[in-house]
Amino acid sequence: MGIANVVNMCSHLQNASRAHLGMTSFPHTKYNLSLAITLHRRGWLSFVTRGGTKPPDPATISTFEPEPLTTANVSRQRLWVGLKYNAAAGGKPVLGAITPITTPKRPITVKLKDLERLARGLDSHPHRGLNLGESIILTTSLGTLDIREAIERKVGGLLLCRVGP
Amino acid sequence: MSVARPTRCLLSRRLAAAAKPAAPASQCHAPFHSSAQLAGRRKPRFKSIRAEEIGLTTPEKIEEYGNKVFPRYTPEELEVLRKRYTGKQMAALEAGEAAIDPKDLTIQGRLRRDPYRIPYIDDFSKIYPIIDKRPKVHHPPNPFARFMTEEEDVADLTRRLEALIPKDVNFENLPQEEVEKILDQRIDFPLEEAKYFLEPETLAGAHGPSNSAVAPALGKKLAGVEGMYKPPIDPADEGKDDQGIYQDLKRRTGLSVRDILDINSKILVTRVVHNQTRLGKIRSTWILAIAGNGDGRLGIGEAKSVEMAVARQKAKLLAIQNMQPIRRYEDRTIYGNVKAKVGATIVQIEARPPGFGLRASHRLFEIFRSVGIRDIAAKMPRGRNPMNSVKACVQALQSQRDPEELAAGMGRKFVDLRKVYYGGNVH
Repeated sequence: MGIANVVNMCSHLQNASRAHLGMTSFPHTKYNLSLAITLHRRGWLSFVTRGGTKPPDPATISTFEPEPLTTANVSRQRLWVGLKYNAAAGGKPVLGAITPITTPKRPITVKLKDLERLARGLDSHPHRGLNLGESIILTTSLGTLDIREAIERKVGGLLLCRVGP
Repeated sequence: MSVARPTRCLLSRRLAAAAKPAAPASQCHAPFHSSAQLAGRRKPRFKSIRAEEIGLTTPEKIEEYGNKVFPRYTPEELEVLRKRYTGKQMAALEAGEAAIDPKDLTIQGRLRRDPYRIPYIDDFSKIYPIIDKRPKVHHPPNPFARFMTEEEDVADLTRRLEALIPKDVNFENLPQEEVEKILDQRIDFPLEEAKYFLEPETLAGAHGPSNSAVAPALGKKLAGVEGMYKPPIDPADEGKDDQGIYQDLKRRTGLSVRDILDINSKILVTRVVHNQTRLGKIRSTWILAIAGNGDGRLGIGEAKSVEMAVARQKAKLLAIQNMQPIRRYEDRTIYGNVKAKVGATIVQIEARPPGFGLRASHRLFEIFRSVGIRDIAAKMPRGRNPMNSVKACVQALQSQRDPEELAAGMGRKFVDLRKVYYGGNVH
């Protein structure tokens, strides 16, 4: 269920980014949260916060306090993320493409050796090497990591999605 | 059939004819046409008699006829005419009368009566534009006319102003106000001013108004104008562009002619295209050219013309004009892998390590060479249309992203590992 939501989240992020939206939201789940935090850590998103069905005020986002999580409101909680646009490139979205790799039907895991090849831009069948500005987010035993973080920590894992400009 | 039978038939017919009573033999044959028979036609009662035989062509008879039909003016008629016309007109009338001999009128003068006759009999008082030539009321233009000098111009203006002064008023000893009042009344100053500015006489020795609505052509060797209509040759061109081909491009791009000529332009696609009109096919040549300075600038130009040479020239100039900077990694390959699609043609271009060379189809090879890329691999997995492949390749090259810009968007620091590893000595 969680992986399915990650796939939906990827599609939604790409659609929202290409539509030049300022912020968007998706269901607040464990997998979604870990992916959103990783994307934010690597600079693809401007902020990630938990919120209700109403969006938080973007002007005061740095001091935004979500309501406490209770069993009563947990099902209505959403993750609100801010999307980034590149002013130097004429307002092109920073997150231009995000494609899911693992699907609920077919989990795809990659070992460290192949990750190293991919990160150098070399193909590792069936995966194409990373292009300029691209990245792969994967779930490992050390948490959800970017491909370069995973290589740094010498760990492979489950490929969640491929992110690119 | 018996041989005797025809004989018997013949004999019996002959005998039958002999037995009949003799009919009167027909004198004329059966008529085969509807016109009257020759015997029935009427003959003229008189033979045609020539005029000479009657004596009508003798000089006396001719003169007599002429005097009767075309009589000269009698003194009484002349008196009436003198009352009507001036002396000059009368002289012209008499000269005209004397010029035409009544004998000529008698012998040659014929009045046409056919339906196609000209609707007038030498009526020179009217001009029929279809029949008559346009009258030239003015003198032909003076071929030696020239522009006025400053003194002549001043004199012309003075003459115009003097012509405006009314002649029948004595301006002497009149006070200034009176003079101005009279002038205001008698002269329409705005109209005269407009006339002076709108119909200026700039030539000295011109014959005034012309027979043509077109202004008279200036002389070929007009002083002060001679040689000024040649295209100006810029000494900065070093004599490389006497035809003025590159002047427009020079103005648009700011390049010197030497720089323009140094740019390598090449024709990649030629197509013969047809415009089907009701008069037939009009064949034109469509040319796609690229231009590159071999150092990261590339332009594409397409032009069409009925003349192939014109299309080639136009396409090359447009390509130079359209040159844009192309991003190159280490001045030898591109940043990352790029892809572009035009129509059914997809061009995929991938960066390659130093010394790899150009592995691309011939048109893409020319593009890479002209832009100054030395290591690259290009693939066209689908269509290989010549025009689309060139356009898609240029689009792909232009779609390269700037890594610094991407890094700035993500808020990260960008480091080129090759440069770090080789200490900046990569090329």
